[in-house]
Amino acid sequence: MATAPLLVLPGDTIDPSLIPTHRKQPLRLGPGLRHIPPSEIVPTVAGQLVVDPKKNSMWVEYNGGRYIPSTHDLVIGQVHRSAADLYYVNLSPYTANAALPHLAFEGATKKTRPQLLPGALIYARVTLANRHMDPELECVSSTTGKAEGLGPLTGGMAFDVSLGLARRLLMARNREEGRVEVLELLGAEGLAFETAVGRNGRVWVGSESTKTIVLVGRALKETDEGDLTVEQQRKLVKRLVKQLR
Amino acid sequence: MPREAEPSLNEKQFILQALQENLRLDGRQLDQYRPLELTFGDEYGVAQVSLGKTKVFAKASAEVTVPYTDRPLDGVFTIMTELSPMASPAFEVNRPNETEVLLSRLLEKTVRRSGALDTESLCLVAGQKCWSVRVDVHVLSHDGNVIDASCLAVVAALRHFRKSDTSMEGGVLTVYTPAEREPVPLGWLHSPFCVTWSFFGDEGETAVLDATRAEEQIRVGSCTISLNRHGEICQIAKLGGTPVEAVALLQCTSLALTKVKEFSTVLDRKLAEDSKRRDKSGRAAELTAENDR
Amino acid sequence: MPLDTSAYSLALLRVDGRRWNELRRIHAQIRTQAAADGSSYFEMGHTKVMCVVNGPSEPGPRRGGTAAAAPGGGQSKDAEVAVSIVVAGFSSVDRKRVGRGDKRILELQSTISSALTASLHTHLYPHSTINISLHVLSQDGSLLAALINAATLACVDAGIPMTDYVAACTAGSTSTYAANDESADPLLDLNHQEEQELPGLTVATLGDSDRVAVLVCESRVQVGRLEGMLAVGVDGCKQVREILDRVVREKGRRMLQEGTVEKGVGLDEMDMD
Repeated sequence: MATAPLLVLPGDTIDPSLIPTHRKQPLRLGPGLRHIPPSEIVPTVAGQLVVDPKKNSMWVEYNGGRYIPSTHDLVIGQVHRSAADLYYVNLSPYTANAALPHLAFEGATKKTRPQLLPGALIYARVTLANRHMDPELECVSSTTGKAEGLGPLTGGMAFDVSLGLARRLLMARNREEGRVEVLELLGAEGLAFETAVGRNGRVWVGSESTKTIVLVGRALKETDEGDLTVEQQRKLVKRLVKQLR
Repeated sequence: MPREAEPSLNEKQFILQALQENLRLDGRQLDQYRPLELTFGDEYGVAQVSLGKTKVFAKASAEVTVPYTDRPLDGVFTIMTELSPMASPAFEVNRPNETEVLLSRLLEKTVRRSGALDTESLCLVAGQKCWSVRVDVHVLSHDGNVIDASCLAVVAALRHFRKSDTSMEGGVLTVYTPAEREPVPLGWLHSPFCVTWSFFGDEGETAVLDATRAEEQIRVGSCTISLNRHGEICQIAKLGGTPVEAVALLQCTSLALTKVKEFSTVLDRKLAEDSKRRDKSGRAAELTAENDR
Repeated sequence: MPLDTSAYSLALLRVDGRRWNELRRIHAQIRTQAAADGSSYFEMGHTKVMCVVNGPSEPGPRRGGTAAAAPGGGQSKDAEVAVSIVVAGFSSVDRKRVGRGDKRILELQSTISSALTASLHTHLYPHSTINISLHVLSQDGSLLAALINAATLACVDAGIPMTDYVAACTAGSTSTYAANDESADPLLDLNHQEEQELPGLTVATLGDSDRVAVLVCESRVQVGRLEGMLAVGVDGCKQVREILDRVVREKGRRMLQEGTVEKGVGLDEMDMD
């Protein structure tokens, strides 16, 4: 990944030498790529092609546009309505709803499942996503049966950010790879808040103090809209915190 | 038609909670507008206004037509509004929804009925020929407070607009091209501006200016006040919603007057800048002398 | 075009002989239609309107076949107040047909719906519709005020729980917008002729509070005039509320005395000159 970023357009042919090979693990395709059997891989969006040889995976990074669900994404959804055994959850405005079964919560049974009102926010993982069906979500890990931080989000505020920023925030090493440090910086300034980042471009911020939430929201918005570097983010945080006090 | 996307319960509660603590999501004061931008196009009569992420485009144009039979001495003046799916998927082409009807009525009352444009000056030959001035308003992006932005765009476009010069000699009407004679501005009497207050809380006790889309979706009522800088009310529209104390409405009106004066100054300044930009060689001075004949 | 009302300053009497703070004759009835859940007839001078309320009931099929969006969708569970206004062709001097898409009528409908929604307890009737149908029989100014009053009465008759009456009336000022004379008097309850010539506004308040539900001003007026006009308007609304309350109480008393009053009785008492 040391080389210059490789940009691909929809329908480009991908140089076979770029496709990672691994003896044991199967090749995993992330968002923005499509496998056309038998052996062709075609990008479906314009963006930067990223290859991870260790995990034997590749995907296309892009910013903007509408969120297209893909499996294992963490998303913040808004409950639209409840049906007989599932909730219809909206991932982005004006798109088809995703389905979240009533029993896909930690320890949920017919009697103990959480009652969610229309408009409630939930943090969930996408379990099924393909082109011809509505996506499906879960709020519990199917292997361990634990929530692992997923579930209904109470209180707080959800902010809309670009898909690119949401992805960068979700990176394991978001400072080095994603160039976002704004949340850590705010935390270092002594603000107490918690966040949940949805890959669908929504960030939920919870805190006891309304002012803190507003401030975190503004910091995120400005980082996103100005595409700020780490250094600029530092300045921004300093400025905002000064205004607060 | 897709329904308008509603904000989640968390967002609704939080915005209300923040407003009670006099906080807004973008860090503004309750009576503060978002940054206002006003630009004119290369052509006369093209204006674009943006208030934060709300963008409105207005274009004025004129043509010679026959006046209405019941008003032979008046020109024709129409304002057309268009809220297209470009602004939000909830809007449809050619099917005006409530937002659009109220917007066009408000512009109509504010600009047309208040007599901002001197329609009598549009008359060329009584009962036979007159100018028909038309303003098209397109909402390019909808992030709340379309009314104030549209009104500003309409007024800016009309004041920027120049129509072709005409002359009457011996019963022959001549319309000159811009090359022959410099186009002339419209007969303009006063500049009205809209200021929209949004009310929040059970009794509408929190009044907020320049609401964003999310704030508009959870407000309990709104009141649009149109004024000009001379302190004349052109129109007030509090169309239902949660009742608000009469005294509060009076306060809103007097605050609106200060905002209108600010708008008025901004518009005057921008128009002056634009005419300076167009008149680099000082040609206009010569041509106005010609028009005096 | 403008008629001369300058005579006002001579005798302090208006064109129809009223003083500045006088309402026109108001006559109102409720329960006039047998077929409706609630109905009313309201006269304010020569402005005459009828109102019929049906519901709360299940929403019927929507225009344009968008019924699919309705069931359970969205967060709003409150009843919807649907208002339709029919302006009779013979209601004003010029027999002009008012089209269905007329923006002025649409605005009136939206205003009345929004004003009543704030007063009615719509949350008690989730996913239903309250249909309010208004018929304008005769127009002589203060149309919006008369429509609001009629709709309020009909909702009372329909037995829909509400916070308080929404009472409306108009107020004006004897000065035109240009004249900045300080001696101008505010006027209560404008008729058509005054509405044409003088600046005026329509106010609707909730109950006998000073809280304004509707405030519509469509004419140019100095900002200094507003306070006086609003004060007179709010005061007029209180008077109108008293009248509406009396009508409802009177009907209630009769219902108690005579058992139930059959719907539609009393229609013949209506003054349809």
